[in-house]
Amino acid sequence: MIVGEQKPLEEIWEMIKGHKKVLVFGCNTCVAVCQQGGNKEAEILASMLRMKATQEGADIEITNSGIERQCEHEFFEKSEDEVQGAEAVLSTACGIGVQFMAEKYAKPIYPGLNTTFLGAVEKFGLYTERCQACGQCILGQTAGICPIARCAKRVLNGPCGGSTKGKCEISKDVDCAWQLIVDRLNLLGRMDDYEKLTPIKDWSTDRAGGPRKLVREDLLDE
Amino acid sequence: MSDVKTPSKLEKVLKAGHFAVTSECGPPRGSDPQAIMEKAEIIKDYVDAINITDNQTSVCRMCSLAACIRLKTMGVEPVLQMVTRDRNRIALQSDILGAASWDINNILCLSGDHQSFGDHAKGQNVHDLDSMQLLQTVRLMRDEGKFLGGDEMKRPPQMFAGAAANPFADPYEIRVSRLAKKVAAGAEFIQTQCIYNMEKMKDWMKKVVDRGLHEKTFIMAGLTPMKSVGMARYMKNRVPGMDVPDYIVKRLADTPKEKQAEEGIKICIEQIQELKEVEGIKGFHIMAIEWEEKVPEIVKAAGLHPRPQV
Amino acid sequence: MNAKKRVGHLKTLLPQVGIAPERIEMFNLSAAMGPRWAEICMEFTEKIRQIGPSPIWFALQARKE
Repeated sequence: MIVGEQKPLEEIWEMIKGHKKVLVFGCNTCVAVCQQGGNKEAEILASMLRMKATQEGADIEITNSGIERQCEHEFFEKSEDEVQGAEAVLSTACGIGVQFMAEKYAKPIYPGLNTTFLGAVEKFGLYTERCQACGQCILGQTAGICPIARCAKRVLNGPCGGSTKGKCEISKDVDCAWQLIVDRLNLLGRMDDYEKLTPIKDWSTDRAGGPRKLVREDLLDE
Repeated sequence: MSDVKTPSKLEKVLKAGHFAVTSECGPPRGSDPQAIMEKAEIIKDYVDAINITDNQTSVCRMCSLAACIRLKTMGVEPVLQMVTRDRNRIALQSDILGAASWDINNILCLSGDHQSFGDHAKGQNVHDLDSMQLLQTVRLMRDEGKFLGGDEMKRPPQMFAGAAANPFADPYEIRVSRLAKKVAAGAEFIQTQCIYNMEKMKDWMKKVVDRGLHEKTFIMAGLTPMKSVGMARYMKNRVPGMDVPDYIVKRLADTPKEKQAEEGIKICIEQIQELKEVEGIKGFHIMAIEWEEKVPEIVKAAGLHPRPQV
Repeated sequence: MNAKKRVGHLKTLLPQVGIAPERIEMFNLSAAMGPRWAEICMEFTEKIRQIGPSPIWFALQARKE
């Protein structure tokens, strides 16, 4: 799922302080899982901003609400009035939700989060990156571990010379993706795959090729 | 091994059956070519070729290509080090052609240290290709005269292609596989990271020889003379992928401070003598960064001077 | 368990809005510990009195003027 991190309170305050009525709007799907931008977090954030506003002597009304997902039109229906009633919205959704709202409503929509990565819940409270959405998945060749998302240099024929005791040269807290791949190839009895040279990547399906789109003609309305 | 494929002096020395000797220089953090010229002057008669590093440890310096051209104008043979961290495939091929236009005939293909190590930690890294894919690219350009995109090129580069290897890096069990992969990708010569653990090195070489890899690529042992026991300890404890045995540290620690540098040089010379006897070792890559003035002494004492004329 | 984590989290949030984390505390006791409960209430009240009014109180006072 998409993981984000709430922006520092000071930074958020700077964005919204000039307004008179702000709606703090949560998204209850991905960013709720990592406890950063869900409806509950939006409520807490709104409360903190009210306390901040009081101390700053600012005349600003801060309300809060939220919906299931801010990346699909249907979920906005029941909150239509609330959003229309606000002068500006502080969305605690990921960057997608913020943009989607900006496309829908002719008012300032501010990001309450820094959207960071696509990841898994290793355990409650620990979220780690797994996918870079490169558009050409090679997990079949790398024993189910992605060197593009998990190697700091995205080497496709790794490891590089900096791998030390299973950790990446950039930090002892980061696993060397290629150590993981080698370990897993061993586990699966597929070490022969290690010597196969991974071909040069076509990055045109990645961000490099421009903003991506998927269309299902058969699902589109007439 | 097969005939000489390029005008590279390094290739000629190796294929003629001599031990090759190379060294390395880091370009300056500015645009003054003096530094490169001075260092090159000191070592040029004691080596077959000089490597020029490419923004090593991600610290921004004068580019390797420009410094290599400078060496060519001095009549010195350069080895262009090229990392994949800073350039995409267009720039990499472009720089290779630029180098070839100046008849630079040696290239060492590397990934490059992560930018967080250097002075521009906020920058992007590119890694459009990795080091093995860069090797493949160089060989494609040279042997087929083609760009990666498929078009043909005029006056293809005549480059002797090499890669780095670290016999001591993790994961240890794939170290020989990794070398095999680099050879398969096109590495015609290998320069290893600096070596101190002779036993482990010999062990690695034995496995390399068992696989016949020593006949498919020229392996040059990397060496760095120790300046002091402090340096030995630093390299032992603080540099990833470095294996410095205790007996080296002890030998330096037991030497009076003012004689430690001399002892470090002695150790280096002994290492060369020992490695000369190891099957598969075809040359020596002496990295004496900021201590270039010692290279002549080491090369002479190791019986590797004068360099053969090929 | 959950309450303890939440109180801990609150102690990190409150300083961001200028409120001393000592103003919220968690105490564990059973319904049978009446005298201890009274003691805690008095001690904590005294502690808060010593810390004094929060920045929010001051801000609200300022508004009234």
